[in-house]
Amino acid sequence: MTLAQHSPTPSHGSSHAAPHAAPHAALSRRHLLTTGAAGTAAATGGLLLSAGAADARSGGGGGGRQGRLPRKVDVVVVGAGISGLVATRELLEQGLDVLCVEARDRVGGRVLNHELRSGGVIEAGGAFVGPTQDHILALAKELKVRTFLEYNEGNSVYISSLTGRQEYSGTVPPDPTILPDAAILLTRLDSMAAEIDVSAPWSHPSALEWDAMSLGEFIRRNALNSSGVGNLIKSWTQPGFGADPDELSLLFVLWYIACSGNETNVGTFSRNSDTAGGAQESRIIGGSQLIPLRLARKLGDAVALDAAVKRIEQKDGRVVVRTRRGTVRAKRVVVACPPPMVLDIDWFPRLPVRRTQLLRHMDMGQLMKCDAVYETPFWREDGLNGFGINDAGAARAVFDNSPASGDPGVLLAFVGGSTWRRYGPLSRKERRKAVLEGFAAMFGEKALKPIEYTEQDWTKERWTEGGPTAFHAPGTLTDFGPAIRQVFGRVHWAGTETSTYWSGYMDGAVRAGQRAAIEVGERL
Amino acid sequence: MRRLALRSVAGLLAGSLALLLPPVATSAAARDGEAPEKWTTTVFARVPSPGAPAYVHVHTNKRVYAGTYAAPDGQPSKVFEWTRSGTLLRSWAVPGQDLEGGEHGVQVAAQTRSGRLVVLDTTTSRILTLDVTRGRWRTIATLPEGSVPNYATWAPGGLYVTDYGDGVVHRVTRRGKVTEWLRDPALDGLLGFGTTGIRYLPEERSFLLTQQTLSTGDALPTNGALLRVPLEGRAPGDVEVVWTSQPTDLPDGFGIGRRTGHVYVAMVGLTNRIAEIDPATGEEVDSFPAVPLVGENGSEIPFDSPCNATFLGKTVLVANQSAIQGDASHHAVLRVHVGERGLAPYLPKKARFR
Repeated sequence: MTLAQHSPTPSHGSSHAAPHAAPHAALSRRHLLTTGAAGTAAATGGLLLSAGAADARSGGGGGGRQGRLPRKVDVVVVGAGISGLVATRELLEQGLDVLCVEARDRVGGRVLNHELRSGGVIEAGGAFVGPTQDHILALAKELKVRTFLEYNEGNSVYISSLTGRQEYSGTVPPDPTILPDAAILLTRLDSMAAEIDVSAPWSHPSALEWDAMSLGEFIRRNALNSSGVGNLIKSWTQPGFGADPDELSLLFVLWYIACSGNETNVGTFSRNSDTAGGAQESRIIGGSQLIPLRLARKLGDAVALDAAVKRIEQKDGRVVVRTRRGTVRAKRVVVACPPPMVLDIDWFPRLPVRRTQLLRHMDMGQLMKCDAVYETPFWREDGLNGFGINDAGAARAVFDNSPASGDPGVLLAFVGGSTWRRYGPLSRKERRKAVLEGFAAMFGEKALKPIEYTEQDWTKERWTEGGPTAFHAPGTLTDFGPAIRQVFGRVHWAGTETSTYWSGYMDGAVRAGQRAAIEVGERL
Repeated sequence: MRRLALRSVAGLLAGSLALLLPPVATSAAARDGEAPEKWTTTVFARVPSPGAPAYVHVHTNKRVYAGTYAAPDGQPSKVFEWTRSGTLLRSWAVPGQDLEGGEHGVQVAAQTRSGRLVVLDTTTSRILTLDVTRGRWRTIATLPEGSVPNYATWAPGGLYVTDYGDGVVHRVTRRGKVTEWLRDPALDGLLGFGTTGIRYLPEERSFLLTQQTLSTGDALPTNGALLRVPLEGRAPGDVEVVWTSQPTDLPDGFGIGRRTGHVYVAMVGLTNRIAEIDPATGEEVDSFPAVPLVGENGSEIPFDSPCNATFLGKTVLVANQSAIQGDASHHAVLRVHVGERGLAPYLPKKARFR
């Protein structure tokens, strides 16, 4: 089992407060300009500029969407993450007049590139793509964004508080204290997930029973060494959900596994968790944010940044969307934001009770990504692939996060769930020390001396409030889940959490955007 | 077709399989850049739980719909929606079913001119419409008790619905009034294997129907048939047998090729095949796969109770129901290349309910 983080997506695009200063704007723009698009950059740079700068470019008015917003369009899309951008693109292709409003001064939502001081680009947000994620792969191909295989040669490392450090190949660490339990448990999870309708997990005959139980409880009931195998599963849930097994509804986890496939391939735990043949198989050359950046470039002035939505009113057969940059009237609205952001919007009329309850019960995961940069990926010379699992410490799930060239070498720790709760509140210095010690325990003393250290705490992101995805606590999916895609008057819902396959991933974001655009198109 | 009946008599029918089957074609996957060969089969989409898809409807909105024909206790039947490339979009649970009353199912049989799906509920004998835009259901009519609405077609006078349970074709007017339009010995099947597919051909003013078993004495009772029934005024003319199937074929839903006029019939029975029939001559001109029974079609999922052939481009979509084996991993919509486009179902302006 190559336990790993997946690739979250949508964006943010709402709320009352002014957006934070985005430290990535200039970087992103520079990145855009260096990705082979110099010829078009002049025409598209406005996408990545702050509103003020963009206003200046357009003369400060005149209806250009980098200046004053248009008064009226057919559809407003809220959020310029992948899902919102895809919905915008699909609606434009239907011949509709569309405006995509984004709270931040960048596009991409939970997909964010980070340019290293030592050269190269890594992802601070969603990063991986893998087999059966056909929609994001097709979009990447269309945008001439290429992928590369995640480095996966050599052994992985497993550290157990009981049995110590081991190197291993294959999927599940060869820990005799957990191996039998893990094999039975994973087979059972796959078999239960195969019965789940990905479009309506709450309709399964055992849905109530499974939803009433946490994944942790299920493990305790079905494993001989439940703490051992529970710890192993934690190394999957913390990066994957930003949560621990006890926080997750079993039904939700089964649905998530069922979603880890497509219409022709049944979802499995291993496809979700593995590197080779799984969701962590590949990454994007130049960083995953290239996808929303290039898509936004194609959309031109249909995307307006720094336009946080404050209020959405439905009245007189129209929707009035009040943003930080002005008010726009539309026939329909697509909301493609993380669930907490939707609750931040002032709705008139109020959201239906069931939807409000649903959103209140969809918790964003707690997750940060901590990267240490080295002159070279030295662990590769030792026959290690850079992947590691530890049942304790700050670095519980570790990946080789080096750029495609392997220069420089980068190790990535996902710090999620209870590990985040322990290490997140520490000072950066203390956390850095703990993470590097975790790397050193896996890959040796060289790991203690990186040339650069960087971290991204998604819980502190004003327009996301967590990551990598929203999850369901026990007892909430059956009660409120059916509202997930239910249209509210003239408002439709996108965002990766609303997808039927690869929910929580970039692929789910694309799917959700396409589905929402179809819904809107059939009503206009 | 009816799943329970199929299971209960599968063994009985198996005994009559010694009869010869016609020469058959083989499947070959297309090489890169080449058009696929005839009968090349791929998986369009697996059908999520409760699975057991029945009929596939290709909508005028260019999307694809299928209902689930055999949901167990506690689980409602569903209607699934896909894009024409096979991306799952949405699903709707069917309201008003008795979820504790045993297996229950629906079939998306047609659509109205305005785009509402016509959904037949086999256990409650209801004819429903589903507005996919708003997710709203409406009960249009209820057939007489014991009826098992199976397939439907629009024709002058309303919606014509085959009754799998009673050897009858019902006519449902636009106001929802139900009348018995045709009752004929040719529709009396053996052991409950009754009338299945139906299509109205306006140019000929006649219907084509499939009958899973014929108990008229003209053939072995395990043989099914393709029937033709002219429309004379608003009344049915004499029933004509166009073609007789092999034993245990159990002909089910079908599609009609636009260029050739050939009828592609799915055999939901033990032979697990698709036959191509020339209705002008009554000849079976082709059949797939080469080796019947096991349903090996070259795709990941073999034919396992294939129950319809609905045209999408130059392919037919086949609902793979696994009615006998009950293997959920075979519940899928398969796509079979046939090399010609299909004749669109008759959908007049009056194809709607008041």
